[in-house]
Amino acid sequence: MASLLRTISCGLRNGLAQNSGILSATRRLKHTEPAVTEETRPTVRKFNAVQRAHFVDFGKYVAECLPKYVQKVQLTSGDELEILIAPEGVLPVLQFLKDHHQAQFVNLVDIAGMDVPSREYRFEIIYNILSLRYNSRIRVKTYTDELSPIDSCNEIFKAANWYEREIWDMYGVFFANHPDLRRILTDYGFEGHPQRRDFPLTGFVELRYDDEKKRVVCEPLELAQEFRKFELEAPWKQFPNFRKANPATEEVDTKKTESK
Amino acid sequence: MASTPAKRIIQQVRPILSVDRDEAKRRVLSLYKAWFRTIPFILHKFDIPKNEEQCRAKLREEFLKNKDVTDVRVIDMLVIKGQMELKEVTMQWKQKGHVMNYWKETVEPKPQDFLSKFLSGN
Amino acid sequence: MLRVPLTRAVLAQSQRAGVLATSKRMQSKAPEKVEVFIDDQPVMVLPGTTVLQAAAQVGIEIPRFCYHERLAVAGNCRMCLVEVEKSPKPVAACAMPVMKGWRIKTNSEMTRRAREGVMEFLLANHPLDCPICDQGGECDLQDQAMSFGSDRSRFTDIDHAGKRAVEDKDIGPLIKTTMTRCIHCTRCIRFASEVAGVDDLGTTGRGNDMQVGTYVEKLFLSEISGNVIDLCPVGALTNKPYSFVARPWEIRRIDSIDVLDALGSNITVNTRTGEVLRILPRENEDINEEWLSDKSRFACDGLKRQRLITPMLRKPDGELEAVEWETALIGVAQAVKNAGSKVAAVAGSFVDAEQLVAVKDLLNRLGSELLCTEQKFPTSDGLSGIDFRSNYLLNSSIAACEDADLVLLVGTNPRYEAPLLNTRLRKGYVHKELDVAVIGPQIDLSYRHEHLGSNASIIQDIVSGKHPFAKRLKSAKRPLIIVGANALSRNDGKAFLSSLHSFANQLKPENSDWKVWNVLQTNASQVAALDIGYKPGVDEVIAAGPKVLFLLGADNEAINKDNIPKDCFVVYLGHHGDNGAPLSHAILPGAAYTEKQATYVNTEGRAQQTLIAITPPGMAREDWKIIRALSEVIGTSLPYDNLDEIRDRLEDIAPHLVRYGRLEENNFFAQAEQLAKSQSVAFQGEIDVKQKSLADFYMTDSITRASPTMAKCVQAIKKGQGRAYTY
Repeated sequence: MASLLRTISCGLRNGLAQNSGILSATRRLKHTEPAVTEETRPTVRKFNAVQRAHFVDFGKYVAECLPKYVQKVQLTSGDELEILIAPEGVLPVLQFLKDHHQAQFVNLVDIAGMDVPSREYRFEIIYNILSLRYNSRIRVKTYTDELSPIDSCNEIFKAANWYEREIWDMYGVFFANHPDLRRILTDYGFEGHPQRRDFPLTGFVELRYDDEKKRVVCEPLELAQEFRKFELEAPWKQFPNFRKANPATEEVDTKKTESK
Repeated sequence: MASTPAKRIIQQVRPILSVDRDEAKRRVLSLYKAWFRTIPFILHKFDIPKNEEQCRAKLREEFLKNKDVTDVRVIDMLVIKGQMELKEVTMQWKQKGHVMNYWKETVEPKPQDFLSKFLSGN
Repeated sequence: MLRVPLTRAVLAQSQRAGVLATSKRMQSKAPEKVEVFIDDQPVMVLPGTTVLQAAAQVGIEIPRFCYHERLAVAGNCRMCLVEVEKSPKPVAACAMPVMKGWRIKTNSEMTRRAREGVMEFLLANHPLDCPICDQGGECDLQDQAMSFGSDRSRFTDIDHAGKRAVEDKDIGPLIKTTMTRCIHCTRCIRFASEVAGVDDLGTTGRGNDMQVGTYVEKLFLSEISGNVIDLCPVGALTNKPYSFVARPWEIRRIDSIDVLDALGSNITVNTRTGEVLRILPRENEDINEEWLSDKSRFACDGLKRQRLITPMLRKPDGELEAVEWETALIGVAQAVKNAGSKVAAVAGSFVDAEQLVAVKDLLNRLGSELLCTEQKFPTSDGLSGIDFRSNYLLNSSIAACEDADLVLLVGTNPRYEAPLLNTRLRKGYVHKELDVAVIGPQIDLSYRHEHLGSNASIIQDIVSGKHPFAKRLKSAKRPLIIVGANALSRNDGKAFLSSLHSFANQLKPENSDWKVWNVLQTNASQVAALDIGYKPGVDEVIAAGPKVLFLLGADNEAINKDNIPKDCFVVYLGHHGDNGAPLSHAILPGAAYTEKQATYVNTEGRAQQTLIAITPPGMAREDWKIIRALSEVIGTSLPYDNLDEIRDRLEDIAPHLVRYGRLEENNFFAQAEQLAKSQSVAFQGEIDVKQKSLADFYMTDSITRASPTMAKCVQAIKKGQGRAYTY
């Protein structure tokens, strides 16, 4: 019986802690009401309205604290917070999010890259961070191009070491002050960065064992078979009613709080 | 966009390593020298059917491939990649095949004129 | 025989104003528009517009199964039910004309529930065999069940007792039927009786026992039967040669042009892993609407058989031996060098404009002018019938044919020579005031027509005004004279051309732009060849006795063993080992129309291009490249290395050849007639056409002769001829 009580109280404590963390950090801001109507459509993802309200407040707070670096705060899929920052703000922003008492995003889950060749700064670097204290995950996004280096956040998160090597290898984004920047996934002597959109799925070269030379040789690719391509568009697109899902991203208005 | 000051900063190009062309040139030369001095060790460590002269010629060829590059940042990027490759060779992470791939001996040159293109089916 | 009465036709026209752009001329006065509201969006439409068309005008698609723009309205699937404000019941949008001020709700609760109900009824008797159904992935029923069906099932028949089952029909070697899947939309029935003109399909029984079929056991054999496959919204009618071959999402679609008749129908070639799997029509209002003839659709398996895949040279002992390209080119070049200027070329029916130009340039450089097409067209020394394009084109354009009010067909059977032109004529016959008269053998055109006789002297009578039909032609507002290219290739073709052309110029149509004189070509290459300056007919080549003769896919036996000199070195350049190849001393394998980017000019003079869907098999190469390579080996390199450069050369010769998709206006009728008039008029004998019945339709050229599906069609007809119900 006693143990049961213990678990219950434990759970209560955890629940309280979860709620109070990010909330209390933003107490002095005007609190946003969870005014979003409940999602009832069966095919559309339902999100947590309370958490969404917390994230809106927290996003505003971060934007207020770091106005120099934070360019935009947005919500993805209803309840995922994204903070879009300038590339030179990677270290200060991550340091802030890690060390701020009410945030404590101490865990770097992953660094992702994204390539959109049509943009002026074609690469997006995405830091997924986790606060174990408040059981909360947010994303920090920044941008760069092929030649602008990004500061390595290896000093803040040790976990960044391999992730940054991976992005260097896959996208060719250079991380300044990285202790050991070198390829991690591709073969020695591999040319190019395979995750760039202009890198073909098949690659440029193929490797084979040459019986005469008694070694592996590298030659320009010649496809013996047709490269198979699938058409994946939904055929019922012509009926507009079918596609009325939530917007992919919603911007959080950070201006209003600044003016107050 | 919330903060214009942040934007203004990025407009000035951030250097990768070198501030001006002279510095970039110095880096290229030092990389060239480093490779040049490594060639005997490469021949010692890797069992490749090449002599020093051929290796030097190849080294020169590889550098001259990029002789028309003028952008300092592009030069820096190439230097960085060259250094990484040098490390891969000296640490013997690369194997014999990797080193030999610089020569591309098995690659048949692509036909250029119409008739040979026609005969080879392109 | 089905023919919409005049009053209905006019009414139907105002309804179809959007669909038939060409019918504008026929409308008397535009009636006042009425305003209706679709989902609260106001839209002004003509009275008589259906709810479905009004919704389409504001971009709202209403789901439907039975409704099709080009077929009569049936209104039997009920899928298009929508709510109209103040109406107690939902209305069928496809059949209900709008009234002033109606407020139509296409997404209201009532509409949605109506759709869900209809869908449930349809699915209650539809088998759940989507995984093994060929329509899967491109099935209207699947798609709309996803979009509009209920997301819950009330299907509780665990004993498998309740679903309707219908026996499959055997309606021929082209269409596979699985009648259990049929949802009774009757699109196929309406297509057969309205467009194809064969009243073979119909329904029997009623209620749950209703069946779509042919009443008695017989085949549904029409020259455009394949279109019911595209029309069928479910998997009841599917492509038999294509069954269980591929899924729509693994297929690559490449837009191209059909070359099996001279219309140049727009097609989409469906390929996977370097193989043409099927050919589908592509919409083009000016040529094929959205139909395709069976030959064009199903002969694609002929592209895999009987192909020439390696260059060959004839050994001294008479055997053809496969050799490398280098050897073959050197062998041919040696022969050409020895021949001096005694070199000739004969173009067959699938030759593209690029190749024609390359061959012409090569031969001209060698000092020869002996360039001919296989099919004859009346010419004479100095004054040739091909100096003016208007002499050999279908001048009035294919789309305008349906607007004519009196058509005279001379020596042609459009039903099999150009099936989609025939559907145009039939459309004019059914929906408008079009009458057809035929000079030639007795044929079935799928609509009623007047048979004037088959003797050539009837033409003389008409031209001189003795024949009663001449009076009708003269009083007609929009008369057409369509002469078959085969009739003009007769020995007295000159007389046909000169007398009929001058007669056509005498006629005074209502609109002075209306073009009366039309030639229906039968070969896809003929117009381009004549445009570029090839001479029609092989007589001149035979007379000259060339030392080297290039056969460019010439398989119609105009050139044979007996009419060429014994020492003539014959080079065959083409894609199929058909009639031409055995004659030859050297074979240079070329690409078929699905394997090259090439220009073709159709019978109305419209240049269109095919695109590369697959690579040529084996060592075959694009044809103009073969000529270009050969020219280099001979030592007089042609000045183009890639497609753009040869297209520039094409533009130099005739600019219209590279204006793709555009139709050039043809004039100079009077001058053309002047040229033609100086010929003596002498008719002789009976007029005949080559393709009289459906059995003659299927195998007419090297691709269709190699196609097993086409062979099966001929076989099926031959087998059926003895039966009680003939076709």
